[in-house]
Amino acid sequence: VLASLGVASAQAALWACGARQRPARRRASEIHPEIRTWLRDAVATLLGAGFSAVQVLAVSRQRTTAAVDVLGAGVARARTTGVVLTARDRDGALREHVTNALSQDGIAAAVEELAPKARAASVDFGPPPRPLPVPRPDPDLLADGQILARVAALAARDRELSSRIVYSAAVMDIDDARVWSVAPGRDVEQRLVRVRRSITRVAWDGSRPIISEAARAWRGGLDDQDLADSELAAAREGALAMMTPRAFEDREYPFALDPAVTASLIEAIVQTLLTSTAARRPEVADRLAIGARAAPALVTLIDDPGVPGAYGGFQFDDTGAPANPVRLIDSGLLATRLARPRRAGHVARVEPLSSHLRLLPGAVERDQLLDEGFTLEGPLGTVVDPASDRVVIAVARARERSGGKRTGRMFADIELVGDLSSLLASVTALSNQTTVIGVRDEVGGQPRWRSFDMPWLRGRGMLRARPRAT
Amino acid sequence: VITGPDLANELVLRGLAEWVVIERAQELASLDEHARVRRREHRVLWQLTVHVDTPAGRGSAHLVIDAAAGSASAAVDQAVALARASVGPAWISRPLAAPARVKLEDPALATGDLADAVRELVDKLPRPVGVTARASLLRERVDVVARQGFHTEWTATLARVDALAIAGRRSLAITREARQLGGLALSAALDHAKRDLHLLQQAVAPSAGPCALVLRADAMLHDDGLGVWSAFASQADAVVERQGLTRYRERAPIAPGADQMAEPLTIRSNGALDFGVRSAPLGDQGDAVRVFALVERGTAAGLGLSPREGALRGRDPNGGVRNLEVATGSWPGTLDGVAPRVVEVRRLRSLAIDPYTGEASLEIALGIDHTAGASQPFRGGSIRIDLIASLAKARRSATAITRGAYKGPDAVLVERAELLG
Repeated sequence: VLASLGVASAQAALWACGARQRPARRRASEIHPEIRTWLRDAVATLLGAGFSAVQVLAVSRQRTTAAVDVLGAGVARARTTGVVLTARDRDGALREHVTNALSQDGIAAAVEELAPKARAASVDFGPPPRPLPVPRPDPDLLADGQILARVAALAARDRELSSRIVYSAAVMDIDDARVWSVAPGRDVEQRLVRVRRSITRVAWDGSRPIISEAARAWRGGLDDQDLADSELAAAREGALAMMTPRAFEDREYPFALDPAVTASLIEAIVQTLLTSTAARRPEVADRLAIGARAAPALVTLIDDPGVPGAYGGFQFDDTGAPANPVRLIDSGLLATRLARPRRAGHVARVEPLSSHLRLLPGAVERDQLLDEGFTLEGPLGTVVDPASDRVVIAVARARERSGGKRTGRMFADIELVGDLSSLLASVTALSNQTTVIGVRDEVGGQPRWRSFDMPWLRGRGMLRARPRAT
Repeated sequence: VITGPDLANELVLRGLAEWVVIERAQELASLDEHARVRRREHRVLWQLTVHVDTPAGRGSAHLVIDAAAGSASAAVDQAVALARASVGPAWISRPLAAPARVKLEDPALATGDLADAVRELVDKLPRPVGVTARASLLRERVDVVARQGFHTEWTATLARVDALAIAGRRSLAITREARQLGGLALSAALDHAKRDLHLLQQAVAPSAGPCALVLRADAMLHDDGLGVWSAFASQADAVVERQGLTRYRERAPIAPGADQMAEPLTIRSNGALDFGVRSAPLGDQGDAVRVFALVERGTAAGLGLSPREGALRGRDPNGGVRNLEVATGSWPGTLDGVAPRVVEVRRLRSLAIDPYTGEASLEIALGIDHTAGASQPFRGGSIRIDLIASLAKARRSATAITRGAYKGPDAVLVERAELLG
């Protein structure tokens, strides 16, 4: 269940099912103090070989997943390292050489393959980076028991569990990455501690499990944030909610997207239409020229990795460039395309990817957003077709509202479908409250972290039931 | 740094019930035409499977270990602790069987510089329309060592091309994956893309209504995977079947009347198919890969069995569901006289399948509406369909194709469907 939710790896879930608490263990950072010297030597050698635009990116990453569920508790740790050498050759092509051996010999071997028998050039790397602030507490020094104690405390906070809840879990997922980027004139280092706390509740409704989750994700200290009591209660009530058994009538309705569904839609739009890669498709380039209207004037969208504590944020990107905000949509007009280079796990190939997307809030109280219609909750996936402008947003639940209040009817597995341009044109309000959502997924075994600061969004469109068991 | 002998030594010292270590030394070269990036990767990965027997039963753990991720001792400690944490019903491993004899290495990629090979692949790419491609080549040496003294090794290659084909103001994304360079069949793929791009330029909005449905290869195998046939792979998951969550059980018809059809459906998993992208001599737990039937003449016939699932059922493991071989039919693929209205789907933009029920939602990127002798391309619209029942009774073409992990008819005809606008 945890793996299906994406809140933990299957491995961590397996561990969580009945694990005993392991004895306390201290695992200090195993970073060699000479690592910066090795990376600088690599840059100097590549420059000496005649390459330009040389950069060496290195990462040492530890993932710690602690879980407490109905069967027991456990902690899993996994460590990954990698080095990416990037250089432009005389033909103007970029060369990348990647190895997972973060050692003097490993880096030297990679350099030798890219630039055999080259001599090091003299390079000014600029001022050395300032010492990194150490997070308190330092997750690298915490014993399993200390992390598990935090998760157990979270699990113990919601005592009003019903007998209908067949599964419950609390999870703390910590990605602790140290990243070095060394290039002529720019030698930088960052430590990115990304924390995600979540609880999961599962109950049966007829023949289907209803899964409800509450999560918070941030970058910083382990104890910087925690789930509020109201969030715990909402997760419990979400799992226990009974779905309306009668058939859903497929037609056009007013709707409100909750922030998680808004985030799903916004991410699909950004990745499918607003990146520099997406613009290679003529349909996208034709439809969305810079300065063209992309959305109603109330929509302003910013990718801002420098927001303190943002789960998807950073101090510098995977080319070593500082984290500057990029305004993608400004009052409904396309301002620029997203070209920020990021690498999954800091080692995969470069792709433009958002970091911390902020959809600026509106002026309407969230409870006053919708008089009649459905509030769509629990994103299951959004598909935007750049060729046909078609959008399909799948959600787990649609709550009916009438007269500004919930009617109590709730339908499972609903899709919002239609043309994206029509859907966006129908957006008439954004709430003045926002919620931050952190997302971690993996591509080719390497993680990608993003976050979204999103309001509730009101619009109108075609709702229909998704395919269901017969 | 972890080494294979270190891992084996540590595992021997623990006195475990069973263990398997798979070492994968991978070399990868890729070329991105658009970004003008040439990339090389070298990595060594270990997959570690351990089984621990306790009075309460057997626990298992499967870990993927990075080469630079610490010491062998720590990795084995973690695997053992993980296994002890997941103790379930006891079972006994069967002796490891002989690996499947299968060819996985393209001789053209067995030696030499992969960077040169990938550049040649891109340079020789046919370009009937505007094409930008990203290609990658993988060469992998796999070593397997198990507690029972078992040791085997093999080499494999894998080629992948992601291309964007552009004609006029329309584009199509194409992905092909194969063990051999020749298996990519890029010339045909790009010719088909050219034809479909031309159709897209004439496409109109869809007209909703009942129709017969034809799925051509690019739609049927959406995203170059198993496409619509993956509904049967989900039903052959032994764990899900044991939980009673599959739609049909072994030895029962997969849908009412499926075993009474003139050409009943037969599907085999063939992990020993030479150059199949999901072929391998052994599975990830050291289990020998075997050919088995998922569906035999409309009746559910077999399940993908891991060592544990096999032992619990008293059967040999078979390496799980791998490449699918679907029996061809006798339908010539023509549309004459099939139905008053036939919707021929050429490309999908998304395919969502409920793994438990086989209910699916097909979002159409390009189709052709054949009504009353006229043919009109369209884009958009969707089909909602019960894939298990529909494919059990569908007419299958007589022409076979091999693409990715699929070998079977190049089109299917479903007599009753409904196009949604």
